[in-house]
Amino acid sequence: MSAAATAPSPAEIAERALGLAAPGGEVQVTVVRERALTSRFARSAPTQATGVDDTEVDILVVRDGHAALASTNRLDDDALRDAARRADAAARASARSGPGAYPGLPEPEPGERTDAGGFDAAAAAAGLAPELAGAALSTAFAVAAEHGLEAFGIWTAGAVRTAIASSTDLRRDEEVTDAFMKVICRDVAGRTGFASATARCADAIDAQAVTWRAAEKVDGQPLAELGPGSYPVVFEPAAVGVLLEFLGTLALNGLSHAEGRGALSGRLGSAVCAPGIELVDDPGSRRTLPRGFDLEGTVKAPLTLIQDGVARAVVHDRRSAALAGAAARSSGHATRPAGSPYGPSPTNLVLGGGDAADVGELAAPIERGIYVTRLWYVNTVREKETLLTGMTRDGTFLIEDGAITRPLRDVRFTDSVLRLLGATEALTAAQQLVSEGELYGRRFAHGVVCPALRAGGFRVSGGTQEVR
Amino acid sequence: MLDLLTEVLGAVPSRCTYAEARHVATDEEDLLVRNGRVDHIDASASDGIGVRVRAGGGWGFAATRGSTPASVERALARALAIAESQPSAPARPLAAVVPARGHWSCAHEIDPFDVSLEDKLALLFAAEELLRVDPRIVRSDATCESRRVRTAFASTEGAACTQERVECGASIAATAVDGDALQVRSHPGSHGSAAACAGWEHVLGFDLVANAPRVVAEALELLVAPDCPAGRRTVILGGEQLALQIHESIGHALELDRMLLMEASYAGTSWVVPGDLGRLRYGSEQLNITADATLPGGLGTFGWDDEGVAAARTALIEAGRLRAALSDRGSAAAIGLQRSGGCARADGFARQPIVRMTNVSIEPGGAGTLADLVADTDDGLYLETNRSWSIDDRRLHFQFGTEVAREICGGELGRLLRNPSYAGVTPTFWGGLDAVCSAPAWRLWGVGNCGKGEPGQVMRVSHGTAPARFRDVQVGVA
Repeated sequence: MSAAATAPSPAEIAERALGLAAPGGEVQVTVVRERALTSRFARSAPTQATGVDDTEVDILVVRDGHAALASTNRLDDDALRDAARRADAAARASARSGPGAYPGLPEPEPGERTDAGGFDAAAAAAGLAPELAGAALSTAFAVAAEHGLEAFGIWTAGAVRTAIASSTDLRRDEEVTDAFMKVICRDVAGRTGFASATARCADAIDAQAVTWRAAEKVDGQPLAELGPGSYPVVFEPAAVGVLLEFLGTLALNGLSHAEGRGALSGRLGSAVCAPGIELVDDPGSRRTLPRGFDLEGTVKAPLTLIQDGVARAVVHDRRSAALAGAAARSSGHATRPAGSPYGPSPTNLVLGGGDAADVGELAAPIERGIYVTRLWYVNTVREKETLLTGMTRDGTFLIEDGAITRPLRDVRFTDSVLRLLGATEALTAAQQLVSEGELYGRRFAHGVVCPALRAGGFRVSGGTQEVR
Repeated sequence: MLDLLTEVLGAVPSRCTYAEARHVATDEEDLLVRNGRVDHIDASASDGIGVRVRAGGGWGFAATRGSTPASVERALARALAIAESQPSAPARPLAAVVPARGHWSCAHEIDPFDVSLEDKLALLFAAEELLRVDPRIVRSDATCESRRVRTAFASTEGAACTQERVECGASIAATAVDGDALQVRSHPGSHGSAAACAGWEHVLGFDLVANAPRVVAEALELLVAPDCPAGRRTVILGGEQLALQIHESIGHALELDRMLLMEASYAGTSWVVPGDLGRLRYGSEQLNITADATLPGGLGTFGWDDEGVAAARTALIEAGRLRAALSDRGSAAAIGLQRSGGCARADGFARQPIVRMTNVSIEPGGAGTLADLVADTDDGLYLETNRSWSIDDRRLHFQFGTEVAREICGGELGRLLRNPSYAGVTPTFWGGLDAVCSAPAWRLWGVGNCGKGEPGQVMRVSHGTAPARFRDVQVGVA
């Protein structure tokens, strides 16, 4: 029997840690166990492969509205007791400054359902077998070679189990699985094409199909150039997903909103996007990477954020809801116990589809425009305007007379997400679960379900040039 | 711990041609006072072991929590299984290394973990209170961080060393909102609390309380300041902004793994190729850049890197000419270098070492103080404190925004301007460098949020800078 099979479960560890905490304040114990495998490749050869097995225990103590957190990955009683003591001492020190703003831990409510169906046992077992990663890489190398190209990218799969036990009798326990593959195909001249796939199950990742899509974007024609200006644009879902992630941070974050820093502060109930734009956070949808509860233990539920172009809601954790006042309550979007200092964040965004059959139909009305498959190094310029800057990458094309015709040099854009969604003219019917596959720190896989879209007036603020 | 690692590595199977094991124990504490209350007070302790092996021509790395013989053996077995399941590939040799032996620790006067929570909170409250002077200040932050990392490293090539580093930093920031306008002002910088490999004396040196009135006054002034106009201008970059300019357009561009396309799918490649070493003109004669892992106080300072290569000081660019790249053992060997540049670094025990910056700095020039440089500038802009940053995947085309700009007219600082931004092409921009302030104006800036690698790794690096002047820069691009 493996060590993993005999190890105590996160729920058992959480229960034990809760029992070791000193009485007096409210206590929440959150235990996260991550098992993951990531294989990278470059120039059609494996480069780095990383397996991780780690368990983190977060002990949160709340006293007089002050929440203090102490974490450890040592699971013996002494280490857990020490973490609880440190959290309690910190909460007491904090409380000496006067009343705090944290509204306290949630209590369980009758009839709560917390299983969102984000776990696939077979996928978890298979996904962590290194042979599956090796096979996916071999497939990618073979498909790229068929096209006379080299493959670069990543294959990763993980299983993360989260258990919460609190002094308010709240108990949560959920395991989620995720898998991601990204392939960039590259020719000898440096022209690249990108494709990726995100799924709940590793066996749903089709390495052959992903690599084929990436290879097809490597167009051997000379690169055309597009100068600064405003152009009609067609974004692939991967690019739309990046824009929506930023919208989540800048406009849909309940803390920023309550502090008056958010792009939708004072604008709920107003038209902020084109009619027809429907954006929801749908954590139970099997099209996303489903999650049953957030890291305060609040049960997640579908939340309409933008309806027919009108801003309807922002997401909250318990802290931001308390700050917002009135009828605000947590919508289940805490990204850490007691909420993150950066505020809550949507984790399961779904942008509704439209009527277009494919990107070809989106491009059809465009006389001269740009087709973008991937965005890169996007960053905020002005928060309240949702003004971003970034680059296109790994497959940018010119649209001429209604057709995608030639590869373009990458361009820099400086544009507003809300403006682009306001100028959105059409969307594909088909949606896709997309992700950047960026897994920093403790693994928390998330993605956006969205279609491709066409928008007007995409602001290209600079081009790229060769310097020799 | 070192004995355990050495013992386990002494028993690796013969099919394993190389193995290294690294135990990392990390203690961290983060405090945040916001809007008159303690907002976050977090402490974490973790330890674990990462084992990297080469077997059957493939590489594997596995990490697990804990520090028992069983956990090391489990990680070793998993790393071997991962390595042996990789598709076959040409062997990738490692540059030779003198086995690391001994212990290294960074100097500090006041251990930040010996300073009480009460004292730290008192300092943060005292500074933060001075930011809450106007209802347009919607957010007032005062934050500090403390960190201790203990590492033990052993390899089948005979390395056996331990290291201990202590880091801390602090910052304040005021966010002002009026209608659709939002402006931020911070001190001493906007990235990673300007942390350093140093004790609490480093935080006290920031003088957060004395700077708070200036910070909030400038945040409010920016709300009504004129926008920075567009045009081609002479620009003086303050030290913190210059640090990020170096980080993005020199440091990352000179990572050898990027030049070799090993990071093409994520971090990107480079406009520089290995054949440029020793030949390429990167910038003007004023440009002298070093990578120095021996620099006191740097976040990129250590005794040995995470492959056991001794810390070194390397001239990357001399008088504008490219001389060397940042490398690890694998990338160095790939281009025929005899030795690694000592730039292999890993983010904790659960990540494997990859090529990272150490302390990549611009050497001081002869332009005197910032006041001297301003006095020597008839017409231009002074840009200070990074707010926005973006660069392409070849590190060639960039766009930055700063919190604040000041006009320079007739050798004197003038009006405050808001929403400044500038853009450029790396060699052209550095070719416009015509003056760097002198050594007394030079200091280290910590950058604590450098992302690279898959799964993601956040690295902490420092950059030494002095304010510098650039000619013919495109400003007002956003």
